[in-house]
Amino acid sequence: MLKGLTWLLALQLAGNLLSALCLPMLPGAVIGMLLLFGYLLVRGTVDEPLNQAASGLLNYLPLLLVVPAAGIMLAGDAWREDALAIAAALVLSLLVSIPFCGWLMQHLTRRIERKAAEP
Amino acid sequence: MGWRALVSHPLFALGLTLVAFQFALWLYRRSGWLLLQPVMIAMLLVVAALFATGLDYATYRQGAAPIALLLGPATVALAVPLYHNLQRIRLLLLPILLTVLLGGALTVLLTLLIAHGLGARVPVLMTLSTKSVTMPIAMLVTEQLHGIVPLAAVLVMLTGVIGTALGPLLLRWARVDHPAARGLSYGINAHAIGTARALEEGEESGAFAALAMSLLGVLTAVLLPVAMSWL
Repeated sequence: MLKGLTWLLALQLAGNLLSALCLPMLPGAVIGMLLLFGYLLVRGTVDEPLNQAASGLLNYLPLLLVVPAAGIMLAGDAWREDALAIAAALVLSLLVSIPFCGWLMQHLTRRIERKAAEP
Repeated sequence: MGWRALVSHPLFALGLTLVAFQFALWLYRRSGWLLLQPVMIAMLLVVAALFATGLDYATYRQGAAPIALLLGPATVALAVPLYHNLQRIRLLLLPILLTVLLGGALTVLLTLLIAHGLGARVPVLMTLSTKSVTMPIAMLVTEQLHGIVPLAAVLVMLTGVIGTALGPLLLRWARVDHPAARGLSYGINAHAIGTARALEEGEESGAFAALAMSLLGVLTAVLLPVAMSWL
């Protein structure tokens, strides 16, 4: 567990370093994830400490998100005038986009799975 | 006097977050009501408590830093479920890319059309265009587009919370039951909060949500500034 956690921390720090040096448009944690994914591809297996640390952390992902979410308090007045337009745009686009993305992916997936199942 | 000592203790923010989250989780499981997303309820409880105690967000954030700091390593950890589902992802690479590109573009276009139609100003429109991606990327891109950076963080949170609350209902209504498709839709429309929900549904769904979230994030960082300069 501790060994796995150390890995995750080290990869995030490496990601931050790369972000500061040459990839300013991507946050360090995202680069860290790509690095870990690349490492796992090369390695061909996930060792147990890393597996434990990852699933332990991901179990609590919703808890970790509460702190930045409360930052909603800082919204201030910049958006008051446009509140209606913002609310309508957020909700209506989700109403269309969530079913669309799910439907499109399911449609394309089923086609490929059917093809793969054929002899 | 005792009250102030309690609120100003460094552990108050941490305790508040833990209590609010556990209550929200209990309520969510007890009610079985998908609209009561734990992240949203816990956030509302924390905000209400901060207003009630007069604590400002910066102080709260500092106290709750041990929790928030783990968000980075948790993001890195998403590579693990991604790797576990490598076979499936390889098989479905083309559908994934198509859905993320088309779905991502559709969300941005719809959002901008609706907001523009209702008279939103240009900086607000620029900020809205980043609302579907994870917060750090959204804030970076908003900065590049001369949008309103604190507003970007708020819109990202709102999208995640609303998308995750509506997602299960909308996907059921559209008869989407394939775990890969559900995960992808959560990841494209509700980034990390949607991914947390998808992980609850299962590892395959979670892996596809994490993949969609990162792909959309990377594509947005690279393509959105270019696309917005054409509009």
